[in-house]
Amino acid sequence: MSYKPIDFLDERLGTAKFTRKSLNKIFPDHWSFMLGEIAMYSFFILLGTGVFLTLFFVPSSAPTVYHGSYAPLDGHVMSQAYASTLNLSFNVRAGLVMRQMHHWAANVFVAAIVVHLLRVFFTGAFRKPREINWLVGSLLLMLAILEGFLGYSLPDDLISGTGIRIAYSITLSVPVVGSYLASFLFGGQFPGDKIIPRFYTIHILLIPAIMAGLLGAHLAIMWHQKHTQYKGRGRTEKNVVGIAFWPAYAMQAGGFFFLTASVIAALGGLVQINPIWMYGPYIPYKVSYAVQPDWYMGWLDGALRLFPSWEIVGFGHMIPTIFFPAVLLPGITFGLLMAWPWIERRFTKDSQSHNLLENPRDNPWRTSIGVGVMAFYMVLFFASSTDVLANTFNLTLNFVLWAFRILVFVIPPIAAFVAYQLAKEARSVPLAGTPRKAMVIFRSPGGEYTTEESEPRSELVLKHSVFHGEEPLPLPEEARIHGQEVQTPVLEEERFVFSAPSAVAVVSEEIGERPSGGSGVYRIPRGAPGAGGGLFSPRGPRPASDGEDSEDEE
Amino acid sequence: MSSSTPELKQSQDKERLIKVSERRFERVVGVSFLLSFLATVGLGVVYWQGGQTQVEGALLFIALGGLGFGIVSWGKYLVPQGPYVQEREELQSPESEREAFVESLERGANQIQRRSFLVKMLGAAVGAFGIITLFPFIRSLGPQPKKMLYVTNWKKGSALVKADGTKVRATDLEVGGVLTVFPDGHPGGAISQTILIRPSFQDIVTKPGRETWGPQGYLAYSKVCTHAGCPVGLYQELTQQLLCPCHQSLFDVMTGANPVFGPAPRPLPQLPLYIDSQGYLRAQAGYDEPIGPGFWERGA
Amino acid sequence: MKFGKKLGGRVLFPVALGVAASVTGMALFSQGAAAATTPGSSNSSSTNSVTYGGTSGAGKAPITYLKLDPSTIALGKTLFVENCSSCHGDTAAGTSRAPNLQGLGAATIDFWISTGRMPLADPTVQATEKPSRFTRAQELAIDAYVSSLAPGGPAIPQVNLGAASLSAGQGLFSTNCAACHTITGVGDALAGGVYAPSLYPATTTQIAEAVRTGPGNMPRFGTGNLSTQQVADIVKYVKYLQHPNNAGGIGLGHVGPVTEGFVGILIGLGSLMIAGYWIGGRAR
Repeated sequence: MSYKPIDFLDERLGTAKFTRKSLNKIFPDHWSFMLGEIAMYSFFILLGTGVFLTLFFVPSSAPTVYHGSYAPLDGHVMSQAYASTLNLSFNVRAGLVMRQMHHWAANVFVAAIVVHLLRVFFTGAFRKPREINWLVGSLLLMLAILEGFLGYSLPDDLISGTGIRIAYSITLSVPVVGSYLASFLFGGQFPGDKIIPRFYTIHILLIPAIMAGLLGAHLAIMWHQKHTQYKGRGRTEKNVVGIAFWPAYAMQAGGFFFLTASVIAALGGLVQINPIWMYGPYIPYKVSYAVQPDWYMGWLDGALRLFPSWEIVGFGHMIPTIFFPAVLLPGITFGLLMAWPWIERRFTKDSQSHNLLENPRDNPWRTSIGVGVMAFYMVLFFASSTDVLANTFNLTLNFVLWAFRILVFVIPPIAAFVAYQLAKEARSVPLAGTPRKAMVIFRSPGGEYTTEESEPRSELVLKHSVFHGEEPLPLPEEARIHGQEVQTPVLEEERFVFSAPSAVAVVSEEIGERPSGGSGVYRIPRGAPGAGGGLFSPRGPRPASDGEDSEDEE
Repeated sequence: MSSSTPELKQSQDKERLIKVSERRFERVVGVSFLLSFLATVGLGVVYWQGGQTQVEGALLFIALGGLGFGIVSWGKYLVPQGPYVQEREELQSPESEREAFVESLERGANQIQRRSFLVKMLGAAVGAFGIITLFPFIRSLGPQPKKMLYVTNWKKGSALVKADGTKVRATDLEVGGVLTVFPDGHPGGAISQTILIRPSFQDIVTKPGRETWGPQGYLAYSKVCTHAGCPVGLYQELTQQLLCPCHQSLFDVMTGANPVFGPAPRPLPQLPLYIDSQGYLRAQAGYDEPIGPGFWERGA
Repeated sequence: MKFGKKLGGRVLFPVALGVAASVTGMALFSQGAAAATTPGSSNSSSTNSVTYGGTSGAGKAPITYLKLDPSTIALGKTLFVENCSSCHGDTAAGTSRAPNLQGLGAATIDFWISTGRMPLADPTVQATEKPSRFTRAQELAIDAYVSSLAPGGPAIPQVNLGAASLSAGQGLFSTNCAACHTITGVGDALAGGVYAPSLYPATTTQIAEAVRTGPGNMPRFGTGNLSTQQVADIVKYVKYLQHPNNAGGIGLGHVGPVTEGFVGILIGLGSLMIAGYWIGGRAR
């Protein structure tokens, strides 16, 4: 069989070789590997809805008098940014659902990144050879938070305007260059008329472009290195066991995109987020109580609330108090985050490559440090709503603040200690990590009880799908690589020869062994049971002679 | 094939089960897609009729959810799942290749470095270009701060005006009243915004040296918080305290807006007031210190 | 149909969820959103007692003051002696436990009684809003009695919303009220164990009374600060906030990004993680 486009592309780009390999790529199958996908799909939804919003949003601080359909603001002077956001919410068809989807997607995006990061951290997936991807992912998290803050600021409503005011003060607090930075960023004294257009450019162009690039790199590196996998039956450091990209994984992942979109659409249409019309336009002398940033900035806001009023003054200079919680803390946070793979390596002295993931209980130290750090940021996060908590639980504000100032030091060590003990405990349980067996209790007619072990649970799980085999099995014949190119540059002293295509040796199946260091081959299982036949002939209960299987193949 | 052995019977049973199961999943996927299709049609109709956010959201949920649920079910239950095994390729190149790479790199570098003067020239040219072209991306963005952070629009004799520009009379506020004021000519200013409070009818002395600053019980403080710059607009009348809504710094109005709680490091600067012959409130002078949050150049 | 029970459940669940969601969505929000999405219709919204931006009652005074009936003073005195005098004294002149009420004006008395804050349940904490102990006639009788003891103070305002401007009210509310009561009017905790209460249960008269008399920690807004017209405007906007335009869907209590964050993480990411659990499965 031959398809025109395939021939067209292959003759010009040689794509068939690579794409075939990709189609047959194996992906380990586990729910915790879907977290990054949620983030990626949210990013796509952000791009799509974001493009829609740019068609209606006017990034300008120029004042305008509003005479739109939202009566409570009729006749108000406001920035064009705010007025256009009102119009896009009330007068553009499907505008509000798009805007709310954009905002919900942003909230889900950062949340998914964080949970994905936690999964990677606690399972040790960042270890060699994946440190680079850890860096890329950390950068993505940083940019996502920044991007979220910028987008939140764009509508120029009362709440977000107050946030920009705080951002100005934070910029101002940087030692030595702060006042210059602030003046350059805002084009002079706060508020000026430049910050909204500038935030807009950064929000819709600069950061998304960088993020798209980094996301591409993140995926490409993952693709190239192959995914990590949990320990389990037939899984080694040297193989990948899972479902094939084409069609099972592609369908599951593709379908998951639509599921992500559907959840975000349901939130976007049914649950109100950031009703800027209720907040009114930003006017510098107005302020609302209970101003909080979006959740992913909460830890910074919490730190701002908790940090004591220490200001360092001396030699005619000042380090403002907010420098410590708002500049130093994020600096340390992301610095340590990115350095973690190397920090850990200093202690473990482990220079091995790892493709098998660790169960968090098998590394109590890492787990307890992770839990402790997580607890620290959770406390800061909750501290960002001291006023709301005080109001909700009828406590005094003063009490809540002091409680958090103490808890931020008390909770993390306790959490870390508990995590360490739990991990140790779990590890000491006999047979921990092996497939569990249920004890089935039988009652005889005479009233006697006997117990019997059931089948291991893993096998029960496998029976979930009729197409799921029990032992890892090799790919079908055609999916294996029969020949493999070896590109050994022929090198001679001082003179170099490009290895011309004709020089590419084709190692045929007869060679059997792969040459050391060459690119990998699919294991050739001679006489493997159930192998052979059509595309991905199912294993297990299906009959081996599956000639009628051709329905799927058109 | 031989006649009915128990094994064959079992495998036939299994096959029958699989067939039934497959048909079931096909139906699930089909219904999913159908629902998605119907919801999408509905979405089109709703949109055409003028749109309604909640209906759009619900229909999008069904349309996208049906699609997603169908595709995933198909990919999960109707195509083989393996598990398959694949060997990992060695990421590391063979030693010889790495050595060869270094050699290639060095050979090229040697060829360049032979002309060391040109290398230096190139470095100078590229470096200069890089530094000079950086300027428009930084320096063009805004003015130097200079005195920007030290001055407000308050001057000696500035009348206090409301946000709408009308002047404030000494009779305007009752005891317990609060008002946001600006220097005449700059209503609504972000930096000059000042909060005017009247805790009493009597002159108030908040601190030594401020004997004349609070005529007839009027006190005026910069409304920009010394912590992170939020407007300190929250006046608790009974306790005579100003609370910042952003990070809950608390300032005591009667003692010169000293911070008594929360993260603010310094008191709010106080504006000295007087009442002119026509009964209007005016500023004796501008603020005697920079308002708002701290910055590097600011001494104490 | 031979739907497998398990599978049938799998299909029916999302369908039922979707249908339920869309129906509730339509039922709950069609009113607010209709006003929002159709320009022009907002002027004649009949769902709220507030007329959007309308000035149908223009020409009439924005606030009139209630003239209390002198014949009710006797009844008022009886009620006062029964309910209030143990703290405020028989002639409302105050005791060591409670302040002097003479000369505060009918509006002050009316606010405290009609919002149920007085009589006080527990003298040590901030008076909280609760159902009033009296009928309206009884309340007015007490107001009449106390205000008859000494002249002065504002009378009980009656707001003519028809003569008030909603959009002017938004501007004034955001300047003068939002700093404590929040821009959506839900209220929040202040320093020292007190709080700015939610504005949602307040009546027009109570809002105007509160603005003018500054109960508790609230500042007082006299006529030099806010004109009568401006008070009416604020009242109109607060009444709007009690039934705001929730064009976006469920309002989440109007407390801003805190609840939004929880919904995003728990419902948004949570449901997607459940979906991922279904797709990805567990360790094998």
